[in-house]
Amino acid sequence: MSPRLSLIWPPILVGCAALAIWQGVVVGFGIKPFLLPAPSLIATNVVDNAGVIREAAVYTATTALLGLLIGIIAAILAGLLASRFIVVKRLVTPLAAGLAAVPIIALTPIFNNMFDITSRTPRVLVTAIIVFFPVFENVTRGLTQVPTAQLELMRSLNAAPATIARLVRIPNALSFFLTGLKVAAPLAVIAALVAEYFGGPQQGLGARIASSAANTAYGRAWAYVVAAIIVGLFFYLMVLLLERLARPWTGRARAT
Amino acid sequence: MSDTPVDSAPAPATPAVELNGVWKIFNEGLPTEVIALQDVSVDVGYGEFIALIGPSGCGKSTLLRVIADLTHPTRGEATVAGLSAAAAREQQRYGMAFQQAALFDWRTVRRNVELPLELQGVPRAARARRAMELLTMVGLADFANHRPWELSGGMQQRVAIARALAVDPPLLLMDEPFGALDEMTRERMQNELLRIRGETGKSVVFVTHSIPEAVYLADRVVVMSARPGRITAVIPVDLPERGEQTREDERFFVAVTRVREALRSGEPTEVGRSRVGEV
Ligand SMILES: Nc1ncnc2c1ncn2[C@@H]1O[C@H](COP(=O)(O)OP(=O)(O)OP(=O)(O)O)[C@@H](O)[C@H]1O
Ligand SMILES: [Mg+2]
Repeated sequence: MSPRLSLIWPPILVGCAALAIWQGVVVGFGIKPFLLPAPSLIATNVVDNAGVIREAAVYTATTALLGLLIGIIAAILAGLLASRFIVVKRLVTPLAAGLAAVPIIALTPIFNNMFDITSRTPRVLVTAIIVFFPVFENVTRGLTQVPTAQLELMRSLNAAPATIARLVRIPNALSFFLTGLKVAAPLAVIAALVAEYFGGPQQGLGARIASSAANTAYGRAWAYVVAAIIVGLFFYLMVLLLERLARPWTGRARAT
Repeated sequence: MSDTPVDSAPAPATPAVELNGVWKIFNEGLPTEVIALQDVSVDVGYGEFIALIGPSGCGKSTLLRVIADLTHPTRGEATVAGLSAAAAREQQRYGMAFQQAALFDWRTVRRNVELPLELQGVPRAARARRAMELLTMVGLADFANHRPWELSGGMQQRVAIARALAVDPPLLLMDEPFGALDEMTRERMQNELLRIRGETGKSVVFVTHSIPEAVYLADRVVVMSARPGRITAVIPVDLPERGEQTREDERFFVAVTRVREALRSGEPTEVGRSRVGEV
């Protein structure tokens, strides 16, 4: 067996075993679906609603992706400024940390009032805000935490600050950025999902989970949850892929 | 104590490097105060090879960094070829190989060596040619397109040496560049360095922990002692052209013994040590 396969099989086996036990417990003890539906019930619902589920997943994934992109761009720009001007760093860091701590539940209604509630905009903005902090924090760190010897080398070569930024600080920040992204990507999916709970368009996964549960269609609600998990995993895997692609520039995996 | 040594060569008006009463005190006035350099004065003549030796933490790297204008002396001044250290750095009058290789992971080995040339605006083809030449010299031509993190510590050091030589600077500042090399590679690199220096007339300040290495390479060995970091002896090495026989030469052993004794007499006594600990 190739090493890659030997990495894939154990989690699959464990997952299947867990599903089997779950099914056994739900059937054996006669647990009600509103507490915990059986995997078989969820599977039936996934198959029956495949079309709608896929649509909902695409809608929510799009929101998450847009928010992620906007949050990343804002965080990188802010990080560049913060590493250049200590004032910006002192201003933005507590603000970003504070904003990141505000629950999505509190943010969404505010944005729903400020922007068009029938559009995707408030959700994208909530997602962008959630994404901002981990990316900003890591990018700033990567831009400033360059090994002293490397900075001394550049100084010995009489490099201007802008040259040092271009040739050393920015490439140095790449691996830090990816670390931030690994945290931010799953967060973006959660934010996009939860932001759908507070009114607005109903075609996303979050809205579907809420309405299915409200209609006591627990099997269907869980079918959407399965889709949400898959979207989250997909985002995470995309970041892992990026990390792999960036390896020639980031070198050995560095602790942050 | 640290008298300016007499230069034997009929030197030009200004030496290649001149340190005049240089002090470097870290955290001055704080409980953590360290006198890294105490009243250090030394001249390096043009084309002269100076080896700097002393116990760990005695201020060797600090001394190089003062010459390189990477840190400012607390008192005293450093000049390079008659220029202030700052002006010499701005005009790229020296090449430095650091104690840590300080290579960039995001550049290939060849492009790491090219970096100083790139900053000087040397055209792409010319700097690639020069980098390959240097990599061949340090025995790493086959690794030109590898990444630094794929190399061993000793190989990384050799890349850093190649980079320090890239712009062909008149002064080389080298901080334990051969520390991580095996004995064979080390001897080859020593001979390469002497060859380059012989062909180009470079001046060299070379930090090492190895007494035989210091004696083999240098015209004069500067011995330092720790806390406070100061020069305790300057030992001229009287050896003919270096080669296979040098290491068996009677005068080689004499010089090695003199450096060893100078190092030993510079060690703090047990009493002195405990007194330092109390402060
Ligand atoms: N940036 C700094 N801040 C405070 N103290 C420093 C700093 N740099 C060096 N020192 C102190 O100055 C002294 C001399 O350090 P230096 O690095 O020059 O030693 P060294 O002779 O190169 O040692 P080694 O052989 O281990 O490389 C040490 O005691 C060190 O603790
Ligand atoms: Mg040192």
